[in-house]
Amino acid sequence: MSKLRIAILIVLVLAMLPITASTSAQDKVTIRITTWAGVEEAAELQAIIDEVNASQDAIEIVHEPKPSDYYTVLQTALAGNEAADLMWIDYGHLEWAFDGVYLDISDYIAADDRATADPDDYFPGIWDAGLVEGGTWGLPWIAQPLVLFYNKDIFDEMGVEYPNPDWTWDDFRAAAVAVTNEDHYGFTMQQGWPPPFLWVYSFGGELVSDDLTQAPIDSPEVIDAINFYASMIWNEELCPSEETIAEEGFEAMMRAGRVAMFIGGAADDYERSTEGTVGVSMLPKGATGENTTTAWVAYTAINADTEHPDEAYDAMVMLTEGIQNWKPSPRISHATVEHFVASIPYKADTAADIVAALPYMRSEYKVFPHVGDFMWGVWRNDFVYPVVRGEDTAEALAPDVRILLEDILAQNQ
Amino acid sequence: MTANTTTPATTAYHDPLARRRLIQTIFGRILIYALLLFGAALILIPFFWMVSTSLKTEDQLFVWPPKWLPDPVAFENYFDSWKQLDSIAPGLTFWRIMGNTLFITVLAMFGEMFSAAIVAYGFARFRFKGRDTIFFIMLSTMMIPATLTMVPGFLVWREFGLLNTYDPLTLPALTAWGPAYIFLLRQFFLTIPRDMDDAATVDGANTVQIFFYIMLPMVKPAFLAIGVLAFQGNWNNLQAPLIYLNTTQFFTLILSMQFFQQSLSKSAPKWHYMMAMATMMAAPILLMFFTAQRYFIEGLNVGAVKG
Amino acid sequence: MGDPGAFNTYYPTLLRYIGLAIVLCLLIYGTYRGLRALGVKPEAATGFSLITPWIAGRIVLTAFPILLSFYLGFTEYNILWDKPKSLQDPLFHYKYALSLKVMKFDADERVSIAALGKLDAEGPRIARYRELDSFTIGDTNYVIGATDPFFFKAVWLTLRYAVFNVPLGLIAALCVALLLNQSVRGIGYWRTLYYLPAVLPAAATALLWWWLFAPKSGLINWGLGQVGIGPMGWFTDKNLVLPSFIIMSTWGVFGANTVILLAGLKNIPPELYEAAAIDGAGTWSKFRRITIPMLSPALFYNLIMGMIAALQLFTQQAFIPTDREDGWFLNWFIYNEAFNSGRMGYASAVGWLTSILIIAITLLVFRSSTAWVFYESSREGEGA
Repeated sequence: MSKLRIAILIVLVLAMLPITASTSAQDKVTIRITTWAGVEEAAELQAIIDEVNASQDAIEIVHEPKPSDYYTVLQTALAGNEAADLMWIDYGHLEWAFDGVYLDISDYIAADDRATADPDDYFPGIWDAGLVEGGTWGLPWIAQPLVLFYNKDIFDEMGVEYPNPDWTWDDFRAAAVAVTNEDHYGFTMQQGWPPPFLWVYSFGGELVSDDLTQAPIDSPEVIDAINFYASMIWNEELCPSEETIAEEGFEAMMRAGRVAMFIGGAADDYERSTEGTVGVSMLPKGATGENTTTAWVAYTAINADTEHPDEAYDAMVMLTEGIQNWKPSPRISHATVEHFVASIPYKADTAADIVAALPYMRSEYKVFPHVGDFMWGVWRNDFVYPVVRGEDTAEALAPDVRILLEDILAQNQ
Repeated sequence: MTANTTTPATTAYHDPLARRRLIQTIFGRILIYALLLFGAALILIPFFWMVSTSLKTEDQLFVWPPKWLPDPVAFENYFDSWKQLDSIAPGLTFWRIMGNTLFITVLAMFGEMFSAAIVAYGFARFRFKGRDTIFFIMLSTMMIPATLTMVPGFLVWREFGLLNTYDPLTLPALTAWGPAYIFLLRQFFLTIPRDMDDAATVDGANTVQIFFYIMLPMVKPAFLAIGVLAFQGNWNNLQAPLIYLNTTQFFTLILSMQFFQQSLSKSAPKWHYMMAMATMMAAPILLMFFTAQRYFIEGLNVGAVKG
Repeated sequence: MGDPGAFNTYYPTLLRYIGLAIVLCLLIYGTYRGLRALGVKPEAATGFSLITPWIAGRIVLTAFPILLSFYLGFTEYNILWDKPKSLQDPLFHYKYALSLKVMKFDADERVSIAALGKLDAEGPRIARYRELDSFTIGDTNYVIGATDPFFFKAVWLTLRYAVFNVPLGLIAALCVALLLNQSVRGIGYWRTLYYLPAVLPAAATALLWWWLFAPKSGLINWGLGQVGIGPMGWFTDKNLVLPSFIIMSTWGVFGANTVILLAGLKNIPPELYEAAAIDGAGTWSKFRRITIPMLSPALFYNLIMGMIAALQLFTQQAFIPTDREDGWFLNWFIYNEAFNSGRMGYASAVGWLTSILIIAITLLVFRSSTAWVFYESSREGEGA
């Protein structure tokens, strides 16, 4: 027992040692930002933050990356009043604006004449989609359209013409089948990716009516889109099976040349290490005759509980300007090949094809309260998944799911 | 199924009946050992596979048929897995995580040991009104699932402003949160003869002295047993850290493993790294088990015999 | 909060830890003085004051949270809100979790959501009956509708898990304990060996078995392939989720049970067997009439502890991604409701339901114990 007591005594003595406070007096206001940035992304973002920090002496931005379970972690931090002043959020999480999580920056924007804060310089489809609940909840720093990446080697080997903007989805499918053999697949899909609403919009359908009361998913356009989706996923005529994907990794297959075509965000780095063998094309034309694509949009939002709203806003604008020069920017004045190549140098060969896709961008969906339940709880889990797993047909399921979706909309009336 | 009596071989040689019984006995013994070895294989093969995988390079993982022994042996997995973690969440280093885990585990362990001993002492050696009722209530709290206090627990610690600190994981230990530990220690205190404290009281010892110098040494096996169990319990605890810790640098070992599995292994599981981390997580507990096996088993047996 | 360095994060906790320890000591002392001043005898005053840390802890950290949880179960409380909001129908969460109805359909008729109908309660969300399960009697299809099918699925999975896993673990452990109780050489080594899986941290066990069960390159599917059984999607196939978890947990726990049962076996007085042998009892009847009754307290203890643990499975689930529809256990379901979906009110209500379920099952096992657990009267004298 005496050893135990000595151990306790040592702990006590250690605890009573005075704290050597290392925080020197700072005049700068510290603004914390949480992001989901992973390894390299965090390093690159840090360079931008360092630049902003060096450019002025009022604000010091501190980065806190949380690359796993981001929204659960962020939500817990917000609930515990531990959250940072600024946070990256994706488009869907604008929903939290309805719970009073974010600071409304409308007044700041109106008073600000910096180009970064000029609504007119943003693609209207992107900017307007962010104006939920009558406020502006952050500046979009990326609008990343879905584009078609393709492996030129495989197309050359199989003697098939490269993807081009004049393709229809049927051309796309035929080509995918044509380049599939025992070594590689024409295309790849997994449950939930690419997002099925992409085909819904491309085929001319809609998930929600403009007045947010109806969910017309039993329309022929939506049914066709989902059937097209379900006919390709895990269909070994053109796509790898579920087991193969689980084993080899979804994106890893594209990188390893096991897949000829891949629909991904324009900023995905398939070109990085492939020596010009990966090309990019706009998505095929849909029933509307347009190369419709959806853009993944993300914002920097300000914590409504921040102690320094003015500084947080300033930090956000400065940071957003930097990030927009590093990621595919949502701004019209940035929609040039030069700007794109300057942002992502290794995309020099594909930048023209990506920039060409920008005008066809639309937002992924509309944001309203419980949009998460709507999009993921019901639309995806109760409709898309059962159909792709062959548990039910889209035609039979759609009227039922429409009822469920409209229940969610009715809650908000 | 009861103990077989072995017949001396000499008589067996002459007596055909005894010989038959001997053969039966030998056959029975062989069967017993065969079954035991079979069970041992069931237990050891997964263990072996864990360690073996943890030493493989990535390209050896999916070899068909599986290779039992790694070749070449990749000891660097044990370092690289931490480098990977550090690269996605700067500061999530081996030493920091070990420090956090040990800090929480040791604090909680000592808290549980001493508080349980004090409370058990109170229950065991003193008569007071309502003691047995309170003791029964204490035992019933064993049935309250952690699920019930998960949400309100979070809110209570939020009210204290102590979320994302180590407090929710260590401070409650001081209030004897394990009914099983109190029960176990109480059983031991009960076996100490009354004369012991009476003699000490006559010698002029006060309650504190009696507790520390006479009682605790007498229940040392049980005291250390709950120490071992508490260490193991806190080391393995996932639910509480998952709820209360937010900043990656504050993570415990088990949380960082879950973090690794979630963030790096989503698309293609990195089995060699995960097995390396699993081995690292198991190593201290196994080491403790081999050195202090007696106390592990002590902790189990009290429940068994007196339950 | 950013990272202020290791020391600065440990230090405040350490200070509060020591502070609380001192406060608790003062509480003990203060209670003692107070009781003495009230004229309570020294023995009673000491005894009661020594258990005050436990009482204080349980009031603040158990009783209060439980009451709070009870209250929250009748409110709507998003994790992002500062305060809970009241519900129009206070029982909404309970209705939402528990509502079931059975409806008749013709064999070829489609079970439509519209036909199943809505829950008649005003609440934060419109609750509609969804198909939980169906069965056929004659040519009529009966469909069971539930407003929260996931909850019932989680309950059902958890119950089946407990019902299979606990007895299986006990039987396996009993067999091994009986084997080891034969005068086996090196008993200590065997015991150590069989106890090993029980000391392996649950997290490590989960990762290990996830890997062993990997569909394509896992060891188990390889072994099955050698004897001609096709690859099985262990944790992914909805019919195999439960067996996978049961196999994994049985492997992890039966060694611990073995050690307890072995100690129980060693405690059976040999005279009992000798007396039975004189009466001409065979091996089986000795096992039935002596071993089992004498072992029943240990079996009972294992059963209770195993039940409570099985109904609260959490750690393994956190490491093994399974499908929400068929592979979520209750505890994981509640955790996700609270901290992922942010529905703290609903999670509290479901937490209460789960607790009631667990306590009811435990009490049921307790009640049944009088019928089959055998206590030697000599042992009862000493305590409790």
